[in-house]
Amino acid sequence: MDYFTNSLSGAFALIISFDPTIYQIVFTSVAISVTASFIAAALAIPSGVAMALNQFKGKGFLQHILNTLMAMPTVVIGLLLYGLFSRLGPLGQFGILYSPLAVIIAEAVLIFPIMMNLAITAVNSADSRLVPTLVSLGARPLPLAIQVIRATRYAMLAAVITGFGRAIGEVGAAMMLGGNIAGSTRTMTTAIALETSKGEFEVGLALGLILLLIAFILNISLSLLNRPAHD
Amino acid sequence: MTNAYHLHNIKVSLKKKEILSIDDLAIKANQCTALFGGNGAGKSTLLRLLAFTHQASQGEVLLFNETVSWPLKAKHRKRIAFVEQQPFLLEGTVYDNIKLGLSLQQVQTSQHKTLIEHALEQTHTAHLSKQNTQTLSGGELKRVAIARALAYQPDILLLDEPFSHLDYDHIDLLAQHLQSFCQQTGKTVVLSTHDHLQGMALSQQTINLRAGKVSPPLVDNIFNGRLEGQNFFTDKLCIHTTSKLPQAQHIAIDPRQIIISNEPLQSSMQNNFSGRIIFITEQSTTVRLVIDCDERFHVIISLESISTLQLQPGNQVYVSFKASAVSVF
Repeated sequence: MDYFTNSLSGAFALIISFDPTIYQIVFTSVAISVTASFIAAALAIPSGVAMALNQFKGKGFLQHILNTLMAMPTVVIGLLLYGLFSRLGPLGQFGILYSPLAVIIAEAVLIFPIMMNLAITAVNSADSRLVPTLVSLGARPLPLAIQVIRATRYAMLAAVITGFGRAIGEVGAAMMLGGNIAGSTRTMTTAIALETSKGEFEVGLALGLILLLIAFILNISLSLLNRPAHD
Repeated sequence: MTNAYHLHNIKVSLKKKEILSIDDLAIKANQCTALFGGNGAGKSTLLRLLAFTHQASQGEVLLFNETVSWPLKAKHRKRIAFVEQQPFLLEGTVYDNIKLGLSLQQVQTSQHKTLIEHALEQTHTAHLSKQNTQTLSGGELKRVAIARALAYQPDILLLDEPFSHLDYDHIDLLAQHLQSFCQQTGKTVVLSTHDHLQGMALSQQTINLRAGKVSPPLVDNIFNGRLEGQNFFTDKLCIHTTSKLPQAQHIAIDPRQIIISNEPLQSSMQNNFSGRIIFITEQSTTVRLVIDCDERFHVIISLESISTLQLQPGNQVYVSFKASAVSVF
């Protein structure tokens, strides 16, 4: 028990003393996840809105694919992208592997189906009169999509936050594609894995606590967004 | 007279259930058409179809004698305004909502202010202009939705149960407004209502829906009896018809087709009865009478006629109508 309490107080000491190594890792992690979230959101929200607003052949099938992708293990995404980015792979010449870009792409791919699915749900659970009202007021496809996003903006923001939460806690793909390079691709999760295996329990615990704190903040903001009245 | 709409072989199905089936239906332009029918008869579906917010599973809709494609082109869309039974207003102020409609219809920004103020004035909602839509009452919401629809100056106004949630004063104001709207050139109103009297008083054409199909108009003057040749016998009266149906057991007479006079009329009208006025009530800009001629006839006449003829309850009057005004079914 002493080991655990000592490590815990050591971890707090690291956090409070603003240990540069720790904050460098936190910064890398947040920067990668924020970038990945922005890229994924920019693609997923328009796609989700477009899919929800249109009826087309194969829509049901596409929905099943999305649901499957949501449940895809991150190591599988890591594996597939590794194949693409590795020197012998189709995109090997760009030298993306083991760069922050590789991790950003992996995390964006990972959270895209989640965000898109949540965007579809957001539109589908909006007031059923919203779309017909806008259509009867003369909304053409683009203005219609913009007004729908505006009316469902809290749910859309919740989709982005959920995706960000998933990205920042991701370890498998970040490890495989980033390579856990200090100062470049070492994120909180890969660092925790490394430090723990090195026996540096305090550092791992400090990062874990910060990760928990981020998860807590995300959850608070989600519950604020999901309150019935937004006034 | 041109048709605002002409529907051919229309079928609308939802989850494999047929909710609307119309072989042929024309809705005339420059007048007010009332849509009657019970709950689930298909009134709202028909209105959504006319508003082009709902696509028919099959069939063709002509808009001003023109075949239109789905989705509707902007120039057609701009001619139609639709106010749902429970209208949806977006977040923001009343003013923002009306402005949004104008922007979506691509009305020039320079005209927005004038058009919005005019629409607010027409619906007596100017005082609500800055109010947030979430704080409106049911009736206010309805009037604002009508303002939003009127603002872009459509040619066709489609209203689903426009009088629900409105108080008496506003029902009268809206009824008058709809009548004057129709009287402008090229303007058409189609409204659904469960208030038969209100609908009859306002409209020149009525469509009765029953289980998704157009059915014989359910007017108030329905009599049961038997048809012998072209004469229909109720228990008490013999009414001349133009029908050749052998098996008919009911007739109905449109209350607007019945003429009231103080003296017996010398005319080509075959049906003439004398009776007593037993009921008079004002309905928007028209007056509704019930005349007891052994059978009771419901009659709708204008406000002017009642003062010209000096009609009062208890008066002895004559009712006359053409044989062709009688529908037999």
